[in-house]
Amino acid sequence: MSSPAPQRWNRVPRIAEVAVERARLTVVPRRRTRAARMPFVALVSLVLVGGVVGLLLFNTSMQQASFAATALEGQSTTLAAREQMLEMELDELRDPQRIAGAAQRLGMVQACAPAFIKLGSNEVVGQPCAAVASAFPIWPAEPKLPADLNPPPNVVEVTADPVVESGVSDDTADGATGNRARDGKKNQQQHQSQNSQR
Amino acid sequence: MGFVVIAMVLSVFGARLVQLQGVDPNSYAAMAAAEGLVEVDLPAERGDILDRNGKALADSVDGLMIVADPLMTAEKAPEIARFLYRELDVDYAATLNRLREEGSRYEYIARRVPATQANAVIAAAEKLKFKGLYTQHDPLRDYPVGDVAANLVGFLGTDEPLAGLERTFDDQLSGTDGSARYEVGAGKKIPLGENTVTDPVDGQDLQTTIDLDLQWYTQRVLRQTVQQWGADSGLAVVMDSQTGELLALADHPTFDANHPTESPKADLGSRAMQDVYEPGSVEKVLTLSSLIDLGLVTPRTQIVVPPSLQREDSPIGDWFDHGTIRLTLAGVLAKSSNIGTVLAADHFKSGQLHEYLTRFGLGQRTAIGVRGETEGLLPAAGVWTHQQQDRIAFGQSLSVNGVQMAAAINTIANGGVRVSPSLIMGSVTTDEGDVVGTDTTTERRVISEDAARQTALMMERVVDEKVGVAPGAAVPGYRVAGKTGTAQAVGADCACYDGTFDVSFAGFAPADDPRFTVYVVVKNPDTGGGGSVAGPAFSKIMSYTLKRYAVPPTGTRPSRLPVEW
Repeated sequence: MSSPAPQRWNRVPRIAEVAVERARLTVVPRRRTRAARMPFVALVSLVLVGGVVGLLLFNTSMQQASFAATALEGQSTTLAAREQMLEMELDELRDPQRIAGAAQRLGMVQACAPAFIKLGSNEVVGQPCAAVASAFPIWPAEPKLPADLNPPPNVVEVTADPVVESGVSDDTADGATGNRARDGKKNQQQHQSQNSQR
Repeated sequence: MGFVVIAMVLSVFGARLVQLQGVDPNSYAAMAAAEGLVEVDLPAERGDILDRNGKALADSVDGLMIVADPLMTAEKAPEIARFLYRELDVDYAATLNRLREEGSRYEYIARRVPATQANAVIAAAEKLKFKGLYTQHDPLRDYPVGDVAANLVGFLGTDEPLAGLERTFDDQLSGTDGSARYEVGAGKKIPLGENTVTDPVDGQDLQTTIDLDLQWYTQRVLRQTVQQWGADSGLAVVMDSQTGELLALADHPTFDANHPTESPKADLGSRAMQDVYEPGSVEKVLTLSSLIDLGLVTPRTQIVVPPSLQREDSPIGDWFDHGTIRLTLAGVLAKSSNIGTVLAADHFKSGQLHEYLTRFGLGQRTAIGVRGETEGLLPAAGVWTHQQQDRIAFGQSLSVNGVQMAAAINTIANGGVRVSPSLIMGSVTTDEGDVVGTDTTTERRVISEDAARQTALMMERVVDEKVGVAPGAAVPGYRVAGKTGTAQAVGADCACYDGTFDVSFAGFAPADDPRFTVYVVVKNPDTGGGGSVAGPAFSKIMSYTLKRYAVPPTGTRPSRLPVEW
């Protein structure tokens, strides 16, 4: 407010100069400041563009995340199925039947009744014995064929040349029983006796 | 001019708007939704059936069915059929026909294919540019051990469980399917689209008390025995003497649970639980231990056994010819004398034997959770005649099921306390609403501890090489108590003894500190008795069980009760 104007009056001091001086009010010159338009427009456009781009990016990233989720879900399903499959294979490998078969192929045999050594006294409890190789059939006997598929051998007695004919039919009968009996002689005998009973 | 054009265009738009929104907006909305909305079932995984150590007897695998659309496959049918035959081992001719089926758009090619394999096949098909093959969900039930415990576990049909534990405990095993609804675009889920998921509730596992390896061994020994002796069928029970848990419950013939249709229907159940038979001399153990409990006899009670005993109108004989012999009660059991048993049983007052047998659990279901269990046949006390009591005293004229009898013999092993047998760990509810399992085990004293011990000492004489009838049942180094049984069997057709026999052996070891009770029954062998047929099978199973659970011999001196006087 202390503009250079009042100094003109300083030369001749007057009565109540200060008061008069104070009473003289002048209108403050109107300041017409024009805010720069550009920054505002720029700001608004920036916000707008930023918003739109942000929204777009956000949407894209969500879409991307959704793609990733779908892919990962698929992967998880595949892996879960694979895990189950492997577990199934593991269970099948654990099958006592398979283990026993593998052991038998290695030449292992059933142990006899166990005996124990007491470590403190070196005392043996029970009757120790050596395992002996004995056939322990772990595989089922081949199933018997139903009667339709296993008709009794048709033996034709031919008086003219008996040797050839009966020889042939005997062979086929033997072949059939021999194929079906896998567990050794006992079974074979059983099959034969059953065949003869029929 | 321009305005007119604009007005015309706008009015066309307006008319279309009215058509879309005004006439039938809902159907259009539904069409729009259907375009992208997907609804899928989320199937619950079926619970596994496990053995006591957590090994699977039945497990579920994510499976797929492969389906063809003949409209698309018909063109290249032979190539596709050859490809599928190679990859999936399906029947070539049948597949070819399906691929060319006219008028059909949906044909099964293979069902229950493990998901990994099915996806690989479809991927390979796409690579070869075969069109029209796709997959659908089709859960797969696998029985990794095939026939082991199959009679108990049962199996699943196409859509539902058909037998065994699978059916009895289906509620617990099956769980509840869930579902999901969401919108998709280009095969991907649309974020912020409609999305509702109801999670599936997987079924719970069912753990049995069966020991898988022991069950396998028991089944193989049983099969060997049944086949070696030309028998019709057989059963074997291995029971933990103290807890009553069934470690093995074997049946022969059995079936492969993966292919149940390949076996006769009669073999698909559990004969050990569902068939009745007369126990024969094994039951003498129950008769004599009851007499000892009443204080009426001791193992050293002296009995004069005549060659034959005339009771009212029919004679009772022994399985071996003898003159008048003098046996102690222990000798009566060791030599399995019917006459001696009947003479001893004369000490019972009316109704006493019936009461004891009831307390031993005969004539009542064991309720272990096996379907269709028979309760056996113990004649009511009121209708017992003298002759009937005589026959019941040595195990005829009454019927049992395998587990029932094993539990009764186990009472002697468990110091006179009958512990109810169990097959399921914990507690579960059957489809009939009964709660079964180890948590529901009950115990009741049947005979005194002393009577049980005396009986065990007598039973030890049965497997004695010199005085007993079943030295083949002995387990070297161990004290074994047991009893043979050779019972006349009732025929299927006539309600009479048809000349066939059921032979059996029941026993426990170590005799002075029993851990396991084993019971083997072989029905209708060509020849042989309880000692020679079932005895060796018992010995093998018992020996294996003791070995498996590392039970040392007690090292005490075996029973030397006199058998004659």
